Amino acid sequence: MYDGIQDSIQLLSAQGVGKYVEGPGGRLDILDDVSLDVNAGETVAITGASGSGKTTLLGILAGLDVPSTGSVRLDGQALETLDEEARAALRRRLVGFVFQSFHLLPALTAEENVLLPLELEGARDALPRAREALAAVGLRKRGAHYPHQLSGGEQQRVALARAFVHAPRILFADEPTGNLDRHTGKTIADLLFDLNRQHRTTLVVVTHDAELAGRCLHAYEIVEGRLA
Amino acid sequence: MNALRHAFRSLRREWRLPELRTLVAALLLAVLALGTVGTLSSRVERAVLMSAAEVIGGDMGVNAATPLPDAFVARARALGLETSHLANFPSVAFANQRSQLLEVVAADAHWPLRGKLTILGARGNDVDAHAPSQGEVYLDHRALVALGLRLGDRVQLGGRDLRITAQLQREPDGGDLFALAPRAVMALADAQAAGLLGTGSRAHHRLLVGGEPSRVEAYRAWAKANLPSDADLVTPQEVQQRLRVAFDRAGAFLRLSALLAALLAGIAIALAARRYAWRKLDEVALLRALGASRGFTFGGLLLTLLVPAVLAAAIGACLAVGLAAAAFVFAHDLLPPAARQVPLPIGPAVAAAGIGLAVLIGFALPPLVRLAEVPPVAVFRRIWTRAPRRFDVLYLLPLGVALALIALESGSWKLAGVLSASLLGAALASMALAFGLLWLIRKYAARLHPSLRLGASALTRRRLLSLVQACAISLGLTALLMLAVIAPSLLDNWRRELPSDAPNWFVVNVQDAQRAPVLDALQRLGATRLNSLPVAVGKLTAINGVPVDKLDPGDRHARETADRQLRLSWSEQLPPANRIIAGRWFAASPPQPEVSIDKMWAETFDLHLGDTLGFQVGERSLTARVTSIREVDWSSFNVNFFLLLDPAHARTLPHDWIASFHLPRGHSRALAAFSRDYPNLSLIDVDELLDRVREIVAQVTGAARWVLGFSLLAGALVLAAALTASAAERRQEAALLRTLGARRGQLVLSALCEFALLGLIAGATALFGAAAGGAWLATSVFRIHDFVEPWGALAIAAVVAAAVVTALGLTGTRRVLRTSPLLILRRA
Repeated sequence: MYDGIQDSIQLLSAQGVGKYVEGPGGRLDILDDVSLDVNAGETVAITGASGSGKTTLLGILAGLDVPSTGSVRLDGQALETLDEEARAALRRRLVGFVFQSFHLLPALTAEENVLLPLELEGARDALPRAREALAAVGLRKRGAHYPHQLSGGEQQRVALARAFVHAPRILFADEPTGNLDRHTGKTIADLLFDLNRQHRTTLVVVTHDAELAGRCLHAYEIVEGRLA
Repeated sequence: MNALRHAFRSLRREWRLPELRTLVAALLLAVLALGTVGTLSSRVERAVLMSAAEVIGGDMGVNAATPLPDAFVARARALGLETSHLANFPSVAFANQRSQLLEVVAADAHWPLRGKLTILGARGNDVDAHAPSQGEVYLDHRALVALGLRLGDRVQLGGRDLRITAQLQREPDGGDLFALAPRAVMALADAQAAGLLGTGSRAHHRLLVGGEPSRVEAYRAWAKANLPSDADLVTPQEVQQRLRVAFDRAGAFLRLSALLAALLAGIAIALAARRYAWRKLDEVALLRALGASRGFTFGGLLLTLLVPAVLAAAIGACLAVGLAAAAFVFAHDLLPPAARQVPLPIGPAVAAAGIGLAVLIGFALPPLVRLAEVPPVAVFRRIWTRAPRRFDVLYLLPLGVALALIALESGSWKLAGVLSASLLGAALASMALAFGLLWLIRKYAARLHPSLRLGASALTRRRLLSLVQACAISLGLTALLMLAVIAPSLLDNWRRELPSDAPNWFVVNVQDAQRAPVLDALQRLGATRLNSLPVAVGKLTAINGVPVDKLDPGDRHARETADRQLRLSWSEQLPPANRIIAGRWFAASPPQPEVSIDKMWAETFDLHLGDTLGFQVGERSLTARVTSIREVDWSSFNVNFFLLLDPAHARTLPHDWIASFHLPRGHSRALAAFSRDYPNLSLIDVDELLDRVREIVAQVTGAARWVLGFSLLAGALVLAAALTASAAERRQEAALLRTLGARRGQLVLSALCEFALLGLIAGATALFGAAAGGAWLATSVFRIHDFVEPWGALAIAAVVAAAVVTALGLTGTRRVLRTSPLLILRRA
């Protein structure tokens, strides 16, 4: 059974996406002819072994990188036709991220880390929203703490608060439980799907955790750069 | 989101980062060094100019062959400046049935505005005075003797009957070194009433002005624009050539020292910025992933550096002013009295803060710009992809800033060229040496002891960083060796150029028959370095057969030189402090008269070897061919001449003699009796001038010690920055090796090997770099021809420096060796 909700509007579409790099031994194909569609509100898992290309695919789908071949449309916009600044603006508006290694800024407090996307957007009511988001992940009292004063699970909760705080249309999560123990990982996954439901966010999760993948509506497996 | 707010937030914790601390310390040091030197040298320059003003008798003057238009006085008064008017002319005085040609100064009551006019007081002591009142005159000792007069007697001068109220001791300019006639000072009003200054008179007029420097400068600009064709400006900068030369050398040395400190700070800044950029990579990738624009990212990074930098620059500027003020308090007694009133300028410290920020931006910008280009996808994998090639040009920025700084601070393209070339040379040499050594290590590493192999391979594995480190440390060490070993040696050589027994007296007007007894008498008084040269007074009559009044030299200076009386001398040997730069010195008995001319003279009249010059000396005329051109060191305090004739033909010209000698200060009183025995002679004391030059040398030496301290600190910062650049990686490696079972001793040996190699590269490069730079500076800038390279001291310093690099490196890794590997791995 999967967690999540779905609308029928297509939010993300990848058609014939390929990615290769030129290495010392010639051309190395990381992704080859990957096509998938994600509707608004859906939850999608991308699974695969280490080195199969799933993180590369996530980066391309989120507009962090561009494909070598093929096309990716996010909210109707072909990402490969946009320059980096335009893609940044699109991410600011539509996209949220959760990373395996949390990626909190060590120089900022938990609250300031959550504030970041709102401030980048120029939101007026940033502070109350950030506090609310922190409260939603159970860290109301830890706002003034720096990342190194938080445990791994707490850091990932701050990262979740940061991901959802500006209510992105689509959230990309890269191995969100990969750095956590089983129990903490489950708590984080629960929180992720709860928040996803509350915010009606589309979720794309890269994971090798079969249990996590099983909670998504769709699951794609990548084997050696191709969808299985 | 406001990039400034983001910068402040980051700074709240990041100010503790070693990179930012290094960066701030380096900037502070650069501003402090530049600011202190700038403030001190600006103040010393003002002091030197004030001394020169004393010699002129005012802050500046306007000389003219005819009375100046009234507008010149009106303009000076409008600017709130004091004025004084004087005129010089020769005139014959009569008394007791005798007559004597006098060199007269007629001045108004304000003269002198600066410096001292000294007369002999009633009790035989020196008294400061102003020009005499109407109806009075001051005569010097020679005039009194020649006319058989005493104080209170009357003398006829220009038809006026004047009462002698004082014996003239010293005029502000010390009198003309080669004055042929005794001197007198009278009131300007008397000279005007006597018609001595009217049309057709031989009087030269001078208007002196004095007051606020900015107003004097405004007046100078105005006077320059409105100068009549027969007038010229006399400024402190133009007089006292000897003081000027000494000051220029002093200034060049100080600026050079400060500049090296600033450039070293720049290297430390570049290394720290690079490390900082590497540390911020994750953050920038995340911000970009979250949709932050390039402008925001870059702005935030720049502001994070600029906020502490501006603070550091401001603190550095304040400290510089404070330090300069403190140095000035300590040096108070060394300064001429007038200079003690010079206010402390703050302009140089502000400029230093600006230059410091320019250094920061120039050296820190390239890694920051490159960092802002980090692709957002780096958030998944810590990569630093190759930046677009258009950013490569940014790496020329530090080079450009360094060159601009060198040109700005050295104030001379020549010095800038020498410095840039030696720094570049040191950089290239260290790169080449490091590259060679790394190649050797890689080739032979397999045969080494395992620990040594580990250490050597640590260097080769980080080849680029090793090259950068070796280069930076080498540059730092080169600068340090130049300052610690070469600079004192240069100063020593320079001081030796002004030996303590340099001639301190000149005696002029010695007649041919007096020469032997005068020299004998001086020797009995204890005079040393006694040297005498013949002087013939003549006029230039023709150049290459064309009479001078038919020549039309466009240059007014050339016209005046041609009109003036010339002092000619001759010598069988090339005098000391003279160097032939073209042609050859006289043969024993040349068939035709020959002349050797000074370079400046050759330039003034565009003369070349083989040209002929016609002279009139008394009743005799002489045509001589130019057979050599000399370069004369006018700062040598020897008796020097623009024109030297061959002795065979010049010997019979009517002449007298000039002698120079050294007499210790305590013996000067004995000269009074000598002066009474030979009343026709003029004795000139150059001790005071020498004293000032020595004072400046002492001030420079004192200031150089401060600056040397800054540069040593900056050098240490470079070492620290270069070593910390690879510290994190090294710690991780060491921890890994420990977890794999490496013994502590093995790690120590490996680190020792690595840093010893780095120290060897840096020490060897610095040794040769400093030696080459020193030789170049000595010959090209300081003009010390017999500079002795302090090889022994250099070698010892290089070995010590290499040992220090090794010790610093080992100290840096000591922490790693003590920490539990588990903890390090967890931290990593």
